[in-house]
Amino acid sequence: MVNKEQLENRLLPYKMLLKGTATMHELATRILPDNAVPELVLGFEGLISHYQDCIDKAGEGLPIVGHHFSFPTEYLYAFDCIPVCIESVSFMLSALLPSTVEKYFDLINHYGHPYHTCSAQKGIMGMSIDNLTTFDAIVTATSPCDNTMASYPFFKLIKNYPLVVADMPYLQNDESYEYMGGELRRALEQIGRLIGQEPDYDRLKKHIELENRVNQTMLDIFELKKTVPCPVGNIFNGLSSAAQIFLAGKQEKANYYNSVLELGKKRRKAGVHHGGEEKIRSIWPYMLVYFSIELCEWLDRHLGMSILFDVFNYVFTENVRTNQDLDTMFFDMAKKTMNVPMVKQSTSLYQPFIEEMIQLAREYSADCFIYTSSIACKQFGSVPQLLKEAIKDELGLPMLMIDIDVADTRITNLDAIKEKIKMFTQTLL
Amino acid sequence: MKDFNQDAFIKIADGIENPYIGEWKKAGKKVIGYYCTYIPEELLHAAELLPFRIRSTGNEDTDLGDVYMVRFTCSFVRMTLDLAFKGGFDFLDGLVMSNCCDHARRMFELFDLKIFTRKEFPSKPPSFYVPIPHVITDVGFEYYKNQIIRLKQKIEEKFSLSPISEETLATSIQIYNKNRELLRKIYTLRGLDRPKLSGSLALKIAMANTSIPKDQANIELERIINQLNDFEGISSKKKRIMLIGSVIDNTGFIDILENSGGIVVSDFLCFGTRNFLEDVKLRSKNDPLAEITERVYYRTSCPRMMDDHLRRFEFIKEEIQKSKIEGVIIQRINNCDLHGCENMILEHKLKELNIPVFNIDRENFQKDYSRIQTRIEAFLEMI
Repeated sequence: MVNKEQLENRLLPYKMLLKGTATMHELATRILPDNAVPELVLGFEGLISHYQDCIDKAGEGLPIVGHHFSFPTEYLYAFDCIPVCIESVSFMLSALLPSTVEKYFDLINHYGHPYHTCSAQKGIMGMSIDNLTTFDAIVTATSPCDNTMASYPFFKLIKNYPLVVADMPYLQNDESYEYMGGELRRALEQIGRLIGQEPDYDRLKKHIELENRVNQTMLDIFELKKTVPCPVGNIFNGLSSAAQIFLAGKQEKANYYNSVLELGKKRRKAGVHHGGEEKIRSIWPYMLVYFSIELCEWLDRHLGMSILFDVFNYVFTENVRTNQDLDTMFFDMAKKTMNVPMVKQSTSLYQPFIEEMIQLAREYSADCFIYTSSIACKQFGSVPQLLKEAIKDELGLPMLMIDIDVADTRITNLDAIKEKIKMFTQTLL
Repeated sequence: MKDFNQDAFIKIADGIENPYIGEWKKAGKKVIGYYCTYIPEELLHAAELLPFRIRSTGNEDTDLGDVYMVRFTCSFVRMTLDLAFKGGFDFLDGLVMSNCCDHARRMFELFDLKIFTRKEFPSKPPSFYVPIPHVITDVGFEYYKNQIIRLKQKIEEKFSLSPISEETLATSIQIYNKNRELLRKIYTLRGLDRPKLSGSLALKIAMANTSIPKDQANIELERIINQLNDFEGISSKKKRIMLIGSVIDNTGFIDILENSGGIVVSDFLCFGTRNFLEDVKLRSKNDPLAEITERVYYRTSCPRMMDDHLRRFEFIKEEIQKSKIEGVIIQRINNCDLHGCENMILEHKLKELNIPVFNIDRENFQKDYSRIQTRIEAFLEMI
C-alpha cells in the first residue's frame, strides 16, 4: 500500500520549492530589517501556503496535472487536481536554488536535448530524467514558441506521461478565439478522461471569478506605477510573475495583490521610493532575470532604477464572463489565454507589441528600455532591433539589449548583467 | 553519365534568380515569395503568380540579417534576410508567410517593414500572412481552410484579379500533381540498388523545381528522367544513407557526406521528399481549394506540427526498409528547436531499433566543413 509520504513524493519539485522558499522567507524576516523587502516577504508567504497545500493534496492522492503557462492554471480547477506549471517550477528553482537547477539542465542536454532550447522546460525535463517528477497528465497550448511545441513531446514519447495539446492560432481575432475556446473545452474533457473526473464548470466559474477580481487589483497596481517615484518595489515584478501562475485561481493570489496595492498606496501617499531615490524609470519589454532575486533589489537600491513593467507584468486582459452560457465563457477564456504574457506577443504580429511599448513608455514616464534577449526565445529573435528603432524614433529613448538565459547563469552571469546595466545607466544620468 | 552540374535547369539550384523568372516578368506577370511548404502553391499558380520558394543558396553571409535577427536564430533564415537586404529578392512582387517556425514567421514583418520599403521597390509589394494550426485535427482543418479562402480573396483583391475559378484551380492541381509525380519518380531512381543519381543531384533538382513555373519544370523533369533512365546507375560500395532534419538549401553538407563514402538514397527534408509525397486528391470539381488545403494540411508533416511524431517516425522506418538504409544522419541547423528536439527523440528511437544513427548540428553555410567531415567519416566507417 502506498503511504502518505510516497504520495507526497510525487510532488518532489514542490518539496524543493517549499524548502527553498521557506528558507529565503526566514532569512528575509529574521536577518533583514523590518519591512526591508515587503513585496518579497508577502509573495513568499502566499507561495509557501500554496506549496504546502499542494503537497498535502498530493498526500491525499489527488492527480497531478502538469501544464504550460499558456494553459492558465485556474482552468485546471475544473478538477480536483494539483496543477503544476512546468515553466514556473523550473524558473522558481533557478531563483531559489541557482546551483541546483543547472544539474537538471545538464541532464536533459546530455540526453540529447538541444542546448539552445528553453530552460523553462529543461528544468522539469531534467528532473524527470532523474525520476523526480510524476504527472497523471500534461497539457499545453501550441504556443508561445517552437520550444514549447518541440519540448513537450518528450514527456509523452520518452516519459510516457499522457499529453493533451490545445491548438492556439497565431492570429488575434474572434475567429481564433472561437477556435481556441473549442480547443480549451476539448482539452479539459480529455484531461478529465485521463484522470477519471468530469470537468466541473460551476467550480471552474468560481475560480475564474476570483481571477477576474484579482485582475482588477492588478490594474490598480499598474495604475499606481504611473506615480513618480514608483511606489511599488522592483521585486514585485518577480514575485508577481510567480504568483500569477502558481497562485492563479486561489485566494492567496488575491491576498498578495491586495497587500501590494495597499503597500503601494501608502508609499505613494508618503511620496517614497522603495530603494530610496528613484533616478531612472525602466521598462523591460521582455523577461526579468529569474536566476537572481537580488537583481531587482540591487536596481532599486544601488542604481535607483525602477522596473515599471516586464513581459509578465503588463497583463491587461479582459475579464471572463461567467454569467452567460458556456460558449461565451470559453470564448472569453480563449481570449484571455491568447493574451497571457508572452503568448499575447507571440500570437500577434510585432506592430501591436511595439505600439504597446511606446504607449506604456509615454503613460508611465519611462526613461529607458532594457531588453533581455533569451537564447531560447526565437519567436522574439527579430523584435529587439525593430523595437529599438521605434522607441528611438518615437520617444528618443535608448534601449539596452542583454543576451541571457533567464534561468541559467552560465550564459551571462549576474555580475556581467549588472556591469552592463551600470554602464548603460551612466549614459543616462 | 551526363554531367548534370552543367545542365541549365539544374544550375538554377546554384543561385537565386534564373532566366525563367526574367521571362515570366517580361510577360508582365508577377512573382510571389514564400518560405514554407505549408503554403498551397496551387492557389498562387491559379492566380497566375509564380511561387518562388525563398532560399539563400549562393549567399555566404548573415551580416545584414544579423542586424535584425539575434544570433540565437537560424542561420538559414538570417542568410535569406541578408540576401534580401542585398537585393537578392528584388524581383518579388509579394510575399506569403505563415507561422511555419519562430524564425521564418517573423520574415512577414521584416520584409514588410525593411525589405519592401527599400527604394528598389517603388511601390510596396503586398505581404500575406496565413496562420496555420499546429496540430492535425478536423477542426484545425476547417480553421485552416477558412484562412486559405481568405488568402484567395486577398490575393484577388491586391492583384486586382477576377475571382479565381474552380476550373483554374483544378488545372493547377493537375500540373502540380504531375510535378510531384515526376519528382517522386526521380527520387525513386535515387533509391535503387544502383542509384541513378546522387543525393546532391536530387536535392538540386528539387530546389530548381521550386524556382520556376511548374509547367516548364515538368518538361525539364521528364527530360531528366529520360536521361537518368539511360544511365546504368552508380555502382559503388558507398554506405546508403537517409538524411533527416532542418532545411538544406545548398549541397555543401551532402557533398561532404557523399565524398566521404556515403550516398544519400533517401531523405526526410522539406526541399526533398516531404514536399512531394502526397498529391491533391481531386474528388470533385466543386471545391478544389478545399482539396488543395487538405493535401497541405494532412500530409506527412514536419516537426512544426505538434503531436504527429509517431506518423513521421513510421514513414522513416518504412523508408529505412524500402531504401535499404545502412545509416541515418539527422542534422539540425543550430538554434532550430523544432528539429533539434525531434532529432533527440528520433535518435533514441532509432537506436532502440539498432539502426546506426548520427545526430549532428551545423550552420546553414559553412566555409569549413573539416570538423563535420571527420565526424561523418567516423560514422560511415562505424556502419
